Formats: sequence, C-alpha cells, structure tokens
Amino acid sequence: MTVPGALSDAAPLLTVKDATVGAGPVCLFEGVSLALVPGELVALKGPSGCGKTTLLRSVAGLIDLVRGEVRLEGRAPEEMGWPAFRRRVLLVHQQPVLLRGTVRENLERPFQYRAADGEFPEARVSALFEQLRLTPEHMRRDVRNLSVGEQQRVCLVRALILEPAVFLFDEPTSALDEEATASAEGLIRDEVARRGAGALVASHDPVQPARLCRRALDLPSFASSGAGAAAGSNEEAPHGEPSH
Amino acid sequence: MASPVIELSPVDLAVAAALVLVAGVVSFSLRLGLERRLAIGAVRAVVQLLLVGVVLKFVFGLDSAAAVLGLLLFMAVAASVAAVRRPARRYRGGLWRAFLTLSVTGLLTTFTVTGLIVGVEPWYRPQYVIPLLGMILGNGLTGVSLCLDQLLETLDERRHEIEMELAHGATRWEAARDALRAAVRRGMIPVVNSMMVVGVVSLPGMMTGQILAGADPLGAVKYQIVVMFMLAAATALGCVFIALLTYRRLFNARHQLAIALIREQQE
Repeated sequence: MTVPGALSDAAPLLTVKDATVGAGPVCLFEGVSLALVPGELVALKGPSGCGKTTLLRSVAGLIDLVRGEVRLEGRAPEEMGWPAFRRRVLLVHQQPVLLRGTVRENLERPFQYRAADGEFPEARVSALFEQLRLTPEHMRRDVRNLSVGEQQRVCLVRALILEPAVFLFDEPTSALDEEATASAEGLIRDEVARRGAGALVASHDPVQPARLCRRALDLPSFASSGAGAAAGSNEEAPHGEPSH
Repeated sequence: MASPVIELSPVDLAVAAALVLVAGVVSFSLRLGLERRLAIGAVRAVVQLLLVGVVLKFVFGLDSAAAVLGLLLFMAVAASVAAVRRPARRYRGGLWRAFLTLSVTGLLTTFTVTGLIVGVEPWYRPQYVIPLLGMILGNGLTGVSLCLDQLLETLDERRHEIEMELAHGATRWEAARDALRAAVRRGMIPVVNSMMVVGVVSLPGMMTGQILAGADPLGAVKYQIVVMFMLAAATALGCVFIALLTYRRLFNARHQLAIALIREQQE
C-alpha cells in the first residue's frame, strides 16, 4: 500500500514494494510499501524499539529483506551494484559512527571509495560547518575529542556532502540540543528541496515528524502478527496517516 | 666423522622420570597445587610420545605413499581443530576453512622443500616429509589461530564502523581491508620474531635434535635456515589464506557483513 498524499506525480525516487522486514528469525513488519518522490520527506513513526532502525537498514540493503523489493529510480540494487546503490541511498546511523583519525580524514574517506564520484567539496564543508556551529578548527580535531553532539553534526555533514538521492535518517538529531536540532532540520529540509532529493526520517520524537515531514508512515500498523502470520495479512491495515 | 649416537636405555628414562619428581617436590613444598596436573602431564607426555614413536616406526616400515599421506592428513586435521579452538571467537564453517588452509599451505611448502630444495627420493620419504610438515603445521596453526582471533575480534568489535563504511558506499573489500591487514600481520609476527632471535636466544629444536643425533653443526644450521624460511612462507601463506576464506564467508555478495555467524567461543 502506498502512502497517500504524495507531493507530485513525479516518478518516484525510491520505491519499497510489499516489504517484509525482520531481524534474524523475528519478523517485524509485513507489507510495507512506499514511494518517495523528489523533494519529499517522509517520517517513520513508531515507539522506540519497534524496528525503525531495522527497516532503514533493510532499505539500505545492509540486511536482507525477508520479502519484497527496494528500487532507486526504478533500478534494482543488484543492477546498480550494492556499493553504488548505498552511496545513493545513504543511511545515517543514529549513533554517530566515526573512524579513528581526524574529522577531515573521516569526511574525506567516502570520497576514496571506488563507488565515489566527485571531488571533496571543500567550500561546501566550510559552509555546512558554519551553519552547524562547527569551527574550521574542528576539521583538524581527533574525533575522540568531540562531544557526541559534535560527532553527530560531523556525521550529518559527511552525509550531506555525499549528495545522495535519498537519505535514510535514523534519529538524526538524537544527540543535539534544541538550537542545533533546528539548524540540522533546516539543513535537511533545504538539501532535500534544493536537489530534489528524498528522505525517510525515523523518529520517536512526537513532534519532529510534524516539523520536518509532510507525511508519515505509522509503522506499528505494519507490525507483523508473528512468525505464523499469513502473507498479506496486513492488507487491511490502515494507511500511514499524515502527521498533522 | 659424526660420533655414534648414544642410545638411551630404559634405566636412563627412569632417571629422567626422577627429574619430574623435582618439579613435583617444588609444587608440593610451595603448595602450588600442581602435583595432579604434573602427574597427568608427565604420563600424557610419555604415552603420546610413545604412541607417535610406534606410529612413525610403523609408517616408516610400510614405505607406502598412501600411508604417509594418510598420516599427513591426520596431522592437518589435528592442527585445524587446535587452530579454531584457540581464538576467543569462532564462526560456522571455520573448521573446514582452517583445514583447507593448513593442509594446502602445509603440503605445498613441505613438498616444495623436499622436492625442490632437499631433493628427497622417493618424494614421500617419511623421515623427511613428516617432521617437516609437523613443524610447518605447528607454526602454521599458531599463525592461523592468531590471525583468526584478531580478524574475528576486529569484525565483532568494530562492526558499527564497518557497517557505516558499507552504508557510505564502500565495497566489502574496502570495508574489510584494514581488518584483514591487521589480522595477517598479527598472525605473522611470531614467525618474524623467531627469525630475529634464532641462534641468539633460542636454539631450534630441530637443530638441537640433529646435533644430539651426531650431525655436523654446520649441516644442521643449513637445514635450520631452510626450515626458518619454509616456516615463514607457510605461515604467511596460511594467514593470507585463512583471512581471505573468512572474509569470503563473513562478507556476502551483497556487500553485507554477516555478523550473526560470529560466535563467542564456549569456555
């Protein structure tokens, strides 16, 4: 079932079709379908621990879908190659994950992968740093000397400069204070609008989905009724409701 | 020129057994509580060595390539079991990969040495092949188990970093490369170190044995040089092999890290 209220009739960027999502032997969601059009932010709503992270990891192909398929602009990940697919459908983890080394080394690293395209955007990094209240001096810092909030902002910069087609944000502002959250949300909204990107935003914050996204997917409505559930048992599940 | 080897009589062995009693007395008087283990250890050593002696004598007497190969395979299985038991973690399918690694690298190196360097006739002559493979497997299993231990530890403890790299478009190779490099390095360190100190700090067992058996020390040294390089080659190959086989198992074609396959070792 496709979430209603799409912004336009534009060809969807990301489509998820009849996906069954599970973690190991446990089946979490069934029959999740979704089409994300350019310029659109969709919230994934649900209480902590309902499986938002697992859903996002499945969409990024870091774990297998039990059933169903994910496509980017109509193309299957196998066809594009998984690294190229993930480079364009970028998961930003909830816990900031940085490698040993400096902030600069971490930001440059994804540009050294074979799937990378483009040069390291020095000027853009400076602009983003300023907007997120990071100083140029932060570039030289060892990541171990950053606060969790600073680490999360660095991870956000790393994602934004890669300019993926679709962002998969897992609680993107969980470690940020109010002011930084506002800046981060503004950046995410601008980025999606400017480039016609798309974003799925998992959040257990009751108000963030409303601030950031025009529509939401209410995940508990897709919750699997258990391992023995018949396929398609969620056919009658209510559609994700707009959050405001 | 070599002096005849002095045969040991049963009485000599009995006197040697008395030496173990010295260790027992130390344990008893210092209340180390090791008496029982010492006794078991001493008996096991005697039984195991006698058994090996009997088996070797039997195989030497058979003069059959099949019997030698059978014994070599048995040795490789025993070494593989030991190699996967030592690391703190294991993964499903690890044992046969260790066996493949140790048997391929062990046999390859052994027969390179016996065939190309020493020129043993016939090619399976047990007197050469069995002790050489024994040394290779002994060192190889240390290398393989250290390499596995390091690799599984890195993949387990840094799985979030590896998944982050995969999520940002790294190929499985790009995401695993550093962990593989560190693991191969760790596995090779003992053999590299032993080349540094050989002859200065330690006199290798094989060389000592040859000298005790009446061989010319310089002749023994020549063999030891061959053995050191052989061990270095076999261990390097073994570490690379097991690292790559493990990588292929734990990173699938969809460039995912199958972390669920890694288990903590029981006990």
